[in-house]
Amino acid sequence: MSLFIQRMFDGLAEGSIYALLALALVVIFRSTGQLNFAQGEIGTLCAFFASTFTLSGLPVWVAILLAMAIGFLIAAFVERVVVRPIENRNPGAVIVALIGVFLAVNQLSAMFWGVDARSLPSLFPTNADSFFRIGDAAIRWERVGIIGVLAVVVVLLFLLFNRTKIGLAMRAVANNQESSNLVGIRVGNILILGWGLAGAIGALAAVMLAPSAGLTGTLMLGPFLYASVAAVLGGLDSPVGAVVGGLLIGLLKAFLIGYVDFLSDMLFPVMLVVLLSVLLFRPAGLFGTEKVERV
Amino acid sequence: MSENLLEVRGLSAGYGQIEVLHSLDFHVADGEIVVILGANGAGKTTTMRSVSGMIQRSGDVLFDGNRIGSARPDAVLRVGISQVPQGRGTFTDLTVEDNLRAGAYSVKGSIAADIDRWYDVFPRLAERRDQRAGSLSGGEQQMLAIARAMMNRPKLLLCDEPSLGLAPIITQNLFKILGELRDEMGMALLVVEQNAGLSLQLCDRAYVLETGHIVASGTGDELLNDDTVKQAYLGGAG
Repeated sequence: MSLFIQRMFDGLAEGSIYALLALALVVIFRSTGQLNFAQGEIGTLCAFFASTFTLSGLPVWVAILLAMAIGFLIAAFVERVVVRPIENRNPGAVIVALIGVFLAVNQLSAMFWGVDARSLPSLFPTNADSFFRIGDAAIRWERVGIIGVLAVVVVLLFLLFNRTKIGLAMRAVANNQESSNLVGIRVGNILILGWGLAGAIGALAAVMLAPSAGLTGTLMLGPFLYASVAAVLGGLDSPVGAVVGGLLIGLLKAFLIGYVDFLSDMLFPVMLVVLLSVLLFRPAGLFGTEKVERV
Repeated sequence: MSENLLEVRGLSAGYGQIEVLHSLDFHVADGEIVVILGANGAGKTTTMRSVSGMIQRSGDVLFDGNRIGSARPDAVLRVGISQVPQGRGTFTDLTVEDNLRAGAYSVKGSIAADIDRWYDVFPRLAERRDQRAGSLSGGEQQMLAIARAMMNRPKLLLCDEPSLGLAPIITQNLFKILGELRDEMGMALLVVEQNAGLSLQLCDRAYVLETGHIVASGTGDELLNDDTVKQAYLGGAG
């Protein structure tokens, strides 16, 4: 039982990283209809920045906020300079361009930070005794901290989307760009903002993961794939779905590794099965909207 | 000239290399209902989109003392022009109430009284305030589209084929509501339509648009009794 609880927290913490990344993917997919292939790599780049900031003596939380700001700027730049000009000419080509951004960002971080692992301190205590007990289960504070970060992001996003005029504009643009123009929303600015927001959330996911996973150029490669499956599972246009999907994938992974020995080396094939099952039997995902409308 | 709320001179517009509107002149006076009548492909929607700033256009557009011939949609809204687009254009994934809030995006200050007011005018919308707009019927969506446009507190409301896809009885009711809005608020209306019968009865004046040219104009009654208009838009009866 104590092992089960420990694995559950492992799964939830890892799932929180996927959930953050999936949230970033969903925020962009809703507004632009594109899967941002470069999302993970932008996060990795930001984590490298954060590591450099902490080395220069800045407190971890300041380094994280700065990294998120950089993530915001990079993603906003990608939207304005890469995505929009191409989308106006050939929407189908955007995904190819985003794979290009993925490769470019990946190599840029290798160029400036090398290929050896860097260290990034955690925002939370990571000493040998930084845990608490539920029965016999030892739960590390870092795990709980990461889950808490996800909770804070979810609450802030909920307030942004549902309680502010900007959030209303973001939902309107996601639904109908033409009509958004007609009610006076500057669609271009909202798109930049959405991408920037996703960039910041993706950066947050990377700096949460880096302390335990080790900061290298491939930090977000696996998590990006898990987060993509999570986003499809939850529904690509549903922020709630991204969170639930991310946590479910995290739990699935933790329990497979813990309890199903022969599958623990075949996690990606398992994810493929999950992905195909969702697409075949519930294409809109658990929380996505199926497009049924009266006219 | 200056007493006209909207004054359009030499308006040309199109898409890419193709010019759809060829130097249109028309105007709308304060509190007037003006219809632009045209068949499919005449350029009705393009005319609307040119006035509301949704597409590139050339020519002079004067509104209430403002030159808006090259203004962006958000600037056109701020001087007091709202558009009800063809096919309603409601935010189908948003609730009815969020649609109304979005309509007031350019309005500064509290909009609670406006929302209540349009719920009074359209009680059906009040009943469905928390439902997704996509779940409304066509007639309800048209009401929502009008209410959303009115949330901007316009001096001029542009309506792009409000009758499209609606049953005749619903269209009649809709035109009645549009007439009442004008009477109560002194707002002007510019409506493009291919439904000549109803729209000519509603309007003060009308223009006939054919392949991007204005080919006739007059009061609603004059055009209702005009032989060419009868032939082309009223089923040739008479």
